[in-house]
Amino acid sequence: MKKTFAFVLVVAAASLSCNREAPGSTSNAKPTVALVLKTLNHPFFVDMRRGAQEAADRLGVTLQVQAAEREIDVEKQMQIVENMIQTGIQALCITPSGSREIVSALVKAKDAKVPIIVVDTRVDAKAAADAGVRTETFVGSDNYEGGKLAGDYLVKVSGGKGRVGILEGIPGHETGDSRLRGFRDAVKASPGITIVASQPANWERDQGFNVFQNMLQAHADIDSVFACSDLMALGAIEAIAAAGKTGKIRIIGFDALDDAKKAIAAGTMEASVAQFPSEMGRVAVESAVKVIRGGTVPAEVKVKLELVTKDNAK
Amino acid sequence: MIAARQFGTVIGLAALCVVLWILTPYFLTVSNLLNIAEQTSINAIVAVGMTFVILSGGIDLSVGSIVALSGVVLGTALQGGQPIPIALLLSLVVGLACGLGNGALISWGGLPPFIVTLGTMSIARGAALLYTEGRPVSGFDASFRVLATGRAGFIPAPVIAMVLVYLVAHFALTRTTFGRYVYAIGGNEEATRLSGVAIRFHKTMIYGVSGLMSAAAAAILTARLNSAQPIAGMMYELDAIAATVIGGTSLMGGEGSLGGTLVGALIMGVLRNGLNLLGVSSFLQQIVIGGVIVIAVLLDTVLKRKNRT
Repeated sequence: MKKTFAFVLVVAAASLSCNREAPGSTSNAKPTVALVLKTLNHPFFVDMRRGAQEAADRLGVTLQVQAAEREIDVEKQMQIVENMIQTGIQALCITPSGSREIVSALVKAKDAKVPIIVVDTRVDAKAAADAGVRTETFVGSDNYEGGKLAGDYLVKVSGGKGRVGILEGIPGHETGDSRLRGFRDAVKASPGITIVASQPANWERDQGFNVFQNMLQAHADIDSVFACSDLMALGAIEAIAAAGKTGKIRIIGFDALDDAKKAIAAGTMEASVAQFPSEMGRVAVESAVKVIRGGTVPAEVKVKLELVTKDNAK
Repeated sequence: MIAARQFGTVIGLAALCVVLWILTPYFLTVSNLLNIAEQTSINAIVAVGMTFVILSGGIDLSVGSIVALSGVVLGTALQGGQPIPIALLLSLVVGLACGLGNGALISWGGLPPFIVTLGTMSIARGAALLYTEGRPVSGFDASFRVLATGRAGFIPAPVIAMVLVYLVAHFALTRTTFGRYVYAIGGNEEATRLSGVAIRFHKTMIYGVSGLMSAAAAAILTARLNSAQPIAGMMYELDAIAATVIGGTSLMGGEGSLGGTLVGALIMGVLRNGLNLLGVSSFLQQIVIGGVIVIAVLLDTVLKRKNRT
């Protein structure tokens, strides 16, 4: 058993030793920035890591990227933060899996005097203030604005008339809630637009399929869909195809994933709100390095949003 | 034989620690070891209940959902202004009731544990979501959060809770008739029944223990995150089963010990921590952890076969 464990560990370590910074000599060594993501099984976060890695290489810092196995696992994220603090990281960039829940982990970073850069999903301001946590900056897109962008576009293309089904993210997530609020506020002004159903599909493609299929059963007259993420929108596209209604229902998604752009170009999807995760990763690492080197950063860096339609889908 | 196998698990843990100590200077520090113990505590406590269940030849897939349900009951009660002991009691009762429900359906309903607890997994999760309308319940008084943030000397409160739970459960398993029946039922249920043991009652109690342990873990989790989430505890059943099995408890029932389970939980905790410290990619981490589980069970099987010949 001893040999076995040793073997497993050595294999794991050896496969990593190439990009592992020799620890110990902190004064001369490159500073280490930690990037703790919600998950790495979503293209959004994979892009974010790419942008962060490019910035880290350019600025000469070591980037340690870790993520929980599942997007909703705040406890695992907390463990990762605790463990990374042990390795003497000089800055922590984090995309919180829960706006309030993550505060307990941030307290540990604060106690270890590790500056915190929040990326993509905001930390609940009150919970942070109550715990005495100060974050250096927030880098992300305004999800409310993104939802509004989608809603305004729907009003425009539908001529202010429509029966809308909404696919929500995991309830209680700031990201999804903001997109939803933005969308609802945008369509509120058009009395011809009715939201006939709004159900969570938990950010997942297969749930997007199932939930929308059920929605269509209950409301056969749905002519528009707003999905708070493209993965759910892509699931809904399949459900629409299965119901033989391809082309009859407009779908607007969020994230502008490659698959979604293809669908938009092919005409099976109407539009998607593009965020620029690699840009977020880049700015996050740049901000972290600035803070490490004693500079100041603005309290908030807004990363642009853009609506992708068939005119600009490539 | 059991003792020899447990010894193997301990050596495995020790070897793992030595390897990590060599590979990273951050591993063998007091603060890191305390982190590991704290991070392990929740899974270790859930795994106590799982060990009782697996020893009796059953399985409990509902533990993660029970963690979520008793967590949100606790959180809601606290926010509703209930005193801490009442809120805790309420949540423990909910966990216990879920477990007893499982047990009753299995023993009196004659249904397979896999099916019953699979059903409860979904029911308890749904109930937790319904109860909170899907939203987390956050922000508790410091006097409650002591459960996670408290220290006795330098030992974190969750670690103390874990040790206490293991001491009491170990006593129950090795020094009481209930404990002996747990092994007996898992060893040969029919023979145990024929010797006059009230099987149905004891099996119900065993699943009750599992529900109770899930609720206890939920209290620590809720205090640790300062939030009770209806989506908490997903896949906890697999972590608890892994800790139990790595610790040498046979999935066939009748063989194993809580000491082994604690070591199993620590192996998983140390592994996760070490892989984080080494900066191993999260994808590779899953492979390594899965590999360790399979290898541990493989060794178990090989040892058993050797023993027979």
